[in-house]
Amino acid sequence: MLPVEMTVNGERRRGAVDARRTLADYLREECALTGTHLGCEHGVCGACTVLLDGEAVRACLMFAVQADGAAVTTIEGLGGPDGALSPVQDAFREEHGLQCGFCTPGFVVSVTALLQENPKPSETEIREALSGNLCRCTGYQGIIGAVKRAADAR
Amino acid sequence: MSTSTAGRFVGQSVKRREDPRLVTGHGRYVDDVVLPGMLHCTFVRSDVARGRIVRVDTEAAVALDGVTAVLTAADLNPHAGEMQPTLLLATPGAPLRPLADGDVRFVGEPIVLIIASSRYVAEDAADLVEVEIDTDPAVIDVEHALDEGVPIVHPELGTNLGAEMEFPIAPELEALLAGDNVVRRTFRQHRHTPVPMETRGVVVEYEPSVGELHAWMSTQNPHEAKQAMARVTGVPAHLVRVEGHDVGGGFGQKFFTPREELTVTLAARRLGRTLKWIEDRRENLIASNHARADVAECTFALDADGRLLGTYIDHIEDAGAFPVGATGGAGALVGLLFTGPYKCALASLRTRAVWTNTCGRGAYRGPWMFETVAREQMVDAAARQIGMDPLEWRRRNVIPTAELPYTLPTGLPLDMVSPSETLEQAAEIIGYDAFRAEQRRVFTEEGRLLGIGLGLYVEPSTGMMDPMGTETAVVRVNPNGQVTVALGTGAHGQGIETTMAQVVAEELGIEYDDVTIVQGDSAVTAYGRGTGGSGTAVIAGNSCRNACAVVRAKAIEIAAHVMEAAPDDLEIVDARIAVRGTPTRSVAWSEVARIAHLETARLPEGMEVGLEATATFKAPPFSWSNACHACTVEIDRATGVVSILRYVVSEDCGVMINPMIVEGQVAGGVVQGIGGTLYEHFVYDDDGNPLTTTFMDYLLPTATEVPTIEYGHVETPSPTPGGHKGMGEGGAIGSPPAIFNAVADALALVGAIIDRTPLTPDTILDAIETQA
Amino acid sequence: MKPAPFEYHAPETIDEVTGLLAEHGDEAKVLAGGQSLVPMLALRLTRFEHLVDVNRVAALAGFARENGTLVVRACTRQRVMERDPAIAAAVPLLARATPLIGHFQIRNRGTVGGSLAHADPASEYPAVAVALGAELELASPGGARRRLAADDFFVGTWTTAAEPDELLVAARFPVWPARSGFAIEEVARRHGDFALAGVACAITDGRAGIALFGVGSTPVRVRAAEEAWLAGAPAAEVAESAVRDLDPPADVHASGSTRTRIARHLVERAVTRAQEGQRVAG
Ligand SMILES: Cc1cc2nc3c(=O)[nH]c(=O)nc-3n(C[C@H](O)[C@H](O)[C@H](O)COP(=O)(O)OP(=O)(O)OC[C@H]3O[C@@H](n4cnc5c(N)ncnc54)[C@H](O)[C@@H]3O)c2cc1C
Ligand code: FES
Ligand code: FES
Repeated sequence: MLPVEMTVNGERRRGAVDARRTLADYLREECALTGTHLGCEHGVCGACTVLLDGEAVRACLMFAVQADGAAVTTIEGLGGPDGALSPVQDAFREEHGLQCGFCTPGFVVSVTALLQENPKPSETEIREALSGNLCRCTGYQGIIGAVKRAADAR
Repeated sequence: MSTSTAGRFVGQSVKRREDPRLVTGHGRYVDDVVLPGMLHCTFVRSDVARGRIVRVDTEAAVALDGVTAVLTAADLNPHAGEMQPTLLLATPGAPLRPLADGDVRFVGEPIVLIIASSRYVAEDAADLVEVEIDTDPAVIDVEHALDEGVPIVHPELGTNLGAEMEFPIAPELEALLAGDNVVRRTFRQHRHTPVPMETRGVVVEYEPSVGELHAWMSTQNPHEAKQAMARVTGVPAHLVRVEGHDVGGGFGQKFFTPREELTVTLAARRLGRTLKWIEDRRENLIASNHARADVAECTFALDADGRLLGTYIDHIEDAGAFPVGATGGAGALVGLLFTGPYKCALASLRTRAVWTNTCGRGAYRGPWMFETVAREQMVDAAARQIGMDPLEWRRRNVIPTAELPYTLPTGLPLDMVSPSETLEQAAEIIGYDAFRAEQRRVFTEEGRLLGIGLGLYVEPSTGMMDPMGTETAVVRVNPNGQVTVALGTGAHGQGIETTMAQVVAEELGIEYDDVTIVQGDSAVTAYGRGTGGSGTAVIAGNSCRNACAVVRAKAIEIAAHVMEAAPDDLEIVDARIAVRGTPTRSVAWSEVARIAHLETARLPEGMEVGLEATATFKAPPFSWSNACHACTVEIDRATGVVSILRYVVSEDCGVMINPMIVEGQVAGGVVQGIGGTLYEHFVYDDDGNPLTTTFMDYLLPTATEVPTIEYGHVETPSPTPGGHKGMGEGGAIGSPPAIFNAVADALALVGAIIDRTPLTPDTILDAIETQA
Repeated sequence: MKPAPFEYHAPETIDEVTGLLAEHGDEAKVLAGGQSLVPMLALRLTRFEHLVDVNRVAALAGFARENGTLVVRACTRQRVMERDPAIAAAVPLLARATPLIGHFQIRNRGTVGGSLAHADPASEYPAVAVALGAELELASPGGARRRLAADDFFVGTWTTAAEPDELLVAARFPVWPARSGFAIEEVARRHGDFALAGVACAITDGRAGIALFGVGSTPVRVRAAEEAWLAGAPAAEVAESAVRDLDPPADVHASGSTRTRIARHLVERAVTRAQEGQRVAG
């Protein structure tokens, strides 16, 4: 077991983990933050996307020990403490950007990162930025709409 | 957007109830369930398609720290009850079994179940299990599986023919088929698989002291899971509870209760331990039910004007080795629906389901959709052969609304549909004629290959087979007037908590926010059909309506009593029960609810206390929706890459409960069809080894591969109350042939021909090259 | 889908890294961005007793311009190649190649050195390195360094000329003269997928580089085509020459002949674009 300390959604977390424990499993199991989903565990679906020091990364492709000293933001850390939705979360709801919701945390985190870097993305930029996240339900129509709405709301 | 028949809630694009918890990461999917003492499971699976198990050595795995049990067929199979789903108990099928026993029949078949302190340790133990298999030749090519001398997939059955249905050929039809004016083609649809983003999974707790089994499962159908678990474990059904909570997609794969879930449940029962099994993506791809995988030789007999006189389809579906139930297919419907929305007097068919040493077939969004694929591709081939535009061919042959009801040549009654209206609407939205002109221009001037394709279909949702056609709703008014509705459904993205609340609020005349839907839990809902087969709006919706009618009548009776009015003079408006025309004489809905529960002395003489009702709805044998898909594509001649330029769906699902959700369902289905036609292909090599076992190889479409989908709506109310129709599957039915036809249309410019999917650069470049 | 156990090392200097590699030999593997290695570990397609995480080695991060060379240290994230204007100015092909790699979340974590060391024959960076004539700098235990031409570095699918105890410390990209033209073109099944076929090319006065990817076991430098191009042959002829001796492998995504056909088309297009670029630059 290796010691690990990181900030998760603004809270300091200290613990000990097996070297092989992925960051995704650490967040889900040790931190009980089950909003980070596992859709493939090999880096393609994007359901596990979290912000690592502000950048969107796959939590299934990192070991928890590697996040030692880092600040991690998960889907649970994006909304307001009282359950208020973030602008991106709200846009997903308004535009029917989700059905089963399994892919949604990964999309919301990715889109949050995208809009931070590029507040007014073009349609092509939106689609390219979304291409690292798979959704099987929506056909992406509502998701693309949600990104546009969230960008307009900024 | 709202429809002409929109009510206060029904017909409105109400925002979804489910969303706040899901967009904040607070949904509860099966992998989020953590119980005290829970152990984790994994399977050791066959890496051979067909062979005899010579040796299974589990010693090293058992000895590993953290391993609780390593179970083989000998430990579990003798204790297993019937594994067929309820719906298919009487249908002959594959000899289902929990773990491979003596032999293996496809790559991915579970041989050993490992139970350990974590999934990490369970996988370590799986690596330590030694399995020795003597490999035998496998049956992989379905088109030759019935040949002489081919090995038998299931020795117990003695044949690779899993099911067969054949209609006699009337002499008139025989004469037509033998005539000159026929078009004959063979189309092949490749194997793909539903791929919900949440894989399958189950957590099972068995409490030996009380004999209760409690499961949390990613399922479309908690009541079916409960029945199946009871049958397999021998635990009495009333002591089994299955909860679904949030389910991350299913598309048919989670409608029945598959082998692994049942095996883990049986193990939990035997060991008296709490077990969790979460399928990983590789398991999901290689061993969760596959779909599509069809081939058919189709014949159209035409008259001189291109009118369809008779059809014949000879269809084979690949059943794989172990479908979740029976043969896992819908071949009968493929044959029965082959003529679809076109007038045709004569038809005959043969359809066969055939066993192979591959992953079993299972339901996938419109399991019978190959009828539309084969027919619509035939239509274009026929039109091309006789030199007629495919739109014109369809106009000539489509069943005019004025001629409804129409009996299909196979005897099915078709009514309350609008295929010709949706055909015209789709053609208009996409600008069919203008596109044709543009297509000619860019081809002549620039040599570019553009194409347009249509896919026209009627979609049956059926109440014929029990328990598929029935749902029960419990509508319960709380003492403060707010309403809780319990349904036996298993929502997995359809927004049932929203749409059914819309229906109930509309029916009771109360606020949408005052209605809550409880579903996905067998213990608190009446036995139900689950969610699948495009059934919720009509079947669950009308069970709600029926229950609401009882509740409303009682509420009105109470109000009439306290207001000393005649019940017939009362109506419910905005949560008040008022005398029609005199809104000042009214009593609040909440007041009536309070009286019913807490001031029972004010109830009419002899009236039962409380305000709730349980009601069922049994769907008619057939109700139909319909749609026309139209799309345009461009083919890059140099690279074989297909780009979809525009995509239009004109659909008729009767009265829409929530147009936003209807369009979402259509879009999801269309994109699955795009994936299925252009990208997704589950590939086996000749020995039955799967080659597309990760998301790097099994390619789902992403936001960069899909066009913006445009919608048109036609509204022909169904004869069922509310006027809704089933529509959840349709998007995935109409899209494959529309895309195929568009690509074929573009290729026809250079005389190239395609007859199979997927439409990859290989297929396209080969077609162009063969022609050149 | 969980990785097998391993011992984790997080050294902070290059010497410590090579020391660990020397000590554990075949049982050790460098972990950089993890975007190729971790999936293989999770799928248990490979396993190592020791993972040597190089993400905390400060000397492996960042890039610098040294005279006519852009030195990109191995653990520099791919996103830096995409975003930093200094990269686009010095080695435009690197900046243009990067958006073709996977998706932005992958590039946030994936490293330049990881991509080169991983040596996937369908990867963009190896082809860019070969086309531009980059050198790869390797460190071995005890501090020795050597440089290999990219041409010599890639020896087969996922195989390089680096010894197991050698660490790739930097890629040295020559900064081509101002009057140069560059292009990278590829066709992938979906956006972000590894290419079915692709080409990176560069041209300036008296020098041309063309490297194909996705069509062999390594990036394929096509010298005859480079010469034809320099000699002023039309793009179609350059393309024909580039694919003449190709024999690409087939897989579930495309046959060998499909890859060849696509490659021919892409070379023609890329060569044309690079020439246009050169004209504009000059
Ligand atoms: C969904 C997805 C899509 C992708 N698409 C593409 C694509 O289109 N094109 C593309 O090129 N790549 C693609 N990749 C791979 C990505 O670019 C990887 O980041 C890259 O291949 C490896 O870099 P890494 O830093 O992540 O290395 P790691 O995964 O950490 O390591 C990869 C290999 O390189 C070795 N290694 C790493 N650094 C060094 C070093 N300094 N010295 C010696 N050995 C070292 C490791 O030991 C390991 O064997 C994709 C990945 C994913 C998950
Ligand atoms: S679970 Fe991490 S990318 Fe799919
Ligand atoms: S909403 Fe179900 S996978 Fe995206």
